[in-house]
Amino acid sequence: MPNRSPLLEVRSLHVGFRIFEGHLRVLDGVTLSVHEGERVGLVGETGCGKTTTVKSVLRVLPMPPAKVTGGEILYRGRDVLKMHRHALHILRRQELTAIFQDPLQSLNPVFTIGSQLRDIVRDSMRTPEGKPLSRREIEARCIQALEETGMPDPARIMSNYPIQLSGGMRQRVCIAEALSTNARLLLADEPTTNLDVTIQDQILRKLDRLVDQKGASVLMITHSMGVVRDLTQRIYIMYAGSVVETGPTRQLLASPRHPYTEGLMASVPRLTGRGVSEGIPGRIPNYLAPPPGCRFHPRCPHRMPECSVEAPPMFDVGADQRAACYLYRRPSP
Amino acid sequence: MTEPILEARGLTKFFPTKRGTVRAVDQIDFAMAPGDTLGLVGESGSGKTTTAQCVVGIYAPTQGDILFQGRSIGATAAKRSRDLKREIRIVFQDPGSSLNPKRTIKQILATPLAVHRMASGREQLARISALLERVELPPTEYLYKHPQSIGGGEKQMVAIARALATDPSFVVLDEPTSALDVSVQAKIINLLLGLQKEMGLTYLFITHDMSLMRNAASRVAIMYLGKLSEIADTADFFQMPLHPYTKMLLSSIPVVSDEEESLKPAKGISRGEIPSPVNVPPGCSFHSRCPSRMEICDKVDPTTVEVAPGHVVRCHLFPLRREIS
Repeated sequence: MPNRSPLLEVRSLHVGFRIFEGHLRVLDGVTLSVHEGERVGLVGETGCGKTTTVKSVLRVLPMPPAKVTGGEILYRGRDVLKMHRHALHILRRQELTAIFQDPLQSLNPVFTIGSQLRDIVRDSMRTPEGKPLSRREIEARCIQALEETGMPDPARIMSNYPIQLSGGMRQRVCIAEALSTNARLLLADEPTTNLDVTIQDQILRKLDRLVDQKGASVLMITHSMGVVRDLTQRIYIMYAGSVVETGPTRQLLASPRHPYTEGLMASVPRLTGRGVSEGIPGRIPNYLAPPPGCRFHPRCPHRMPECSVEAPPMFDVGADQRAACYLYRRPSP
Repeated sequence: MTEPILEARGLTKFFPTKRGTVRAVDQIDFAMAPGDTLGLVGESGSGKTTTAQCVVGIYAPTQGDILFQGRSIGATAAKRSRDLKREIRIVFQDPGSSLNPKRTIKQILATPLAVHRMASGREQLARISALLERVELPPTEYLYKHPQSIGGGEKQMVAIARALATDPSFVVLDEPTSALDVSVQAKIINLLLGLQKEMGLTYLFITHDMSLMRNAASRVAIMYLGKLSEIADTADFFQMPLHPYTKMLLSSIPVVSDEEESLKPAKGISRGEIPSPVNVPPGCSFHSRCPSRMEICDKVDPTTVEVAPGHVVRCHLFPLRREIS
């Protein structure tokens, strides 16, 4: 899809955190893009910087301690990092929307579901003539949004407080909030991680349908390979603050090339029951003093001398699939 | 089956609360042979952790009994003999909160040895080092560290070493890897399976991850609202899932390859949520979500039927013992 300009483009983003012990260099050149109508997955293990990436895009990282030390985030070609308050407000109100992992943290405990949902709809939706919606229209839109997520008895739910709902129901409310507007890009950060598989399945299928109906684009952040396989067309695999491999989802999961992705896929327990691998030795580096060069090299079984000198660029490893690893460097002519 | 090492007979645990009785575990029966790994799978609120806590003696059963090597052990740990407490140990889900942050790993591992008067002085240090080696943590590096200075996977290995300190024969694993990343989980599972072979351990493995069970358990039991819906040997279980709830669970698992996709039952519609264990639906407790619901289901609670050797189902679809083709 190189002929279309992307909806969201993150270019070589560097984000650090100043803390007492020093400077945590977390994001080390994250580059990714989401095109109009596309569903993209961002996958990695705990502490790899997935959530920092999303929060940077939404500009909700507390600064300080966080600091963007390089790179840019372009939304429809405009740099989000340079936007002023008003432009940012409009962007968040009309274009972006997000679902986070823990609905209890994103819902306000002292307001009813209805009051929170009405606020969002009132603030972000306009009639075709550009006028604010009437009270009745807002109410109808809220009920409809709840109904669309498969919530039984939406009128009653509107008068409930978040604490009165189960985890699955709360996450449905968050989805209703996120999709009640006409947002173009949905950032979903581990939306089903805390839920049971049967509830996860229901919610993901609902999300899938709603996103289709609205023609929105999705950037889905998760650590679950199964979830991205079901929901996305293209994925980025992240390790220790940078993207190590990218490609079409199913192709990449079937034939991972980067040593980290290979190790990760071999660790996933399968229904075929052939056992699991030994895992990946070692653990994610300390961001105070990350290893030089490729950040994966201390754990890598194919380590070469140049790996600890300079971080590898992306090399082509298959149709639309690229990996940041010197194993795939083409011999120089 | 050989003489079971652990048997639950009509095990029941109710918790009285202001809003009614929570029927956490309701008349469950299962037996485990020595060397088995029984995977106890269910959604949150299904009663799997309460079952485990009855086995280790955190709770005494309200009704029914637990037999360990033929002897009744249905009492809380306070009333159990020291020998028994040495035999049955537990590894908890979150090693961050089950290890004392103020103590070094050496102190953490010394406690069970001291309590059970197994070793002291120089011998104790040797035992602790051997334990750490057993869980693949180099003792010289880890003995004097505190839990917060090591990673989540390493903490869980310390918790495993602590459970093994008394040479138990039975270990309850309560979601030992669900707080960990897959690459670390893989390592812990391999370690646990290796230790089981080496030490002849029997595991009661509690989890909500069916794919993990496929690779770790020899038998699988599915729990729903305090009752067991289906028990079978792992291979049978995944080849021929029978209970509608089992099928719903299996079809909901997100998998990572086409090969696995073909192993899942036809896409069942997963719907509804697990009801509150205070208001358990009448009849079969699953009827409110069941796609194959019949008239009888909300009136009569089904009984347990052994449909094939070792394959037990509790569902009205299987009213009599019969051959299934």
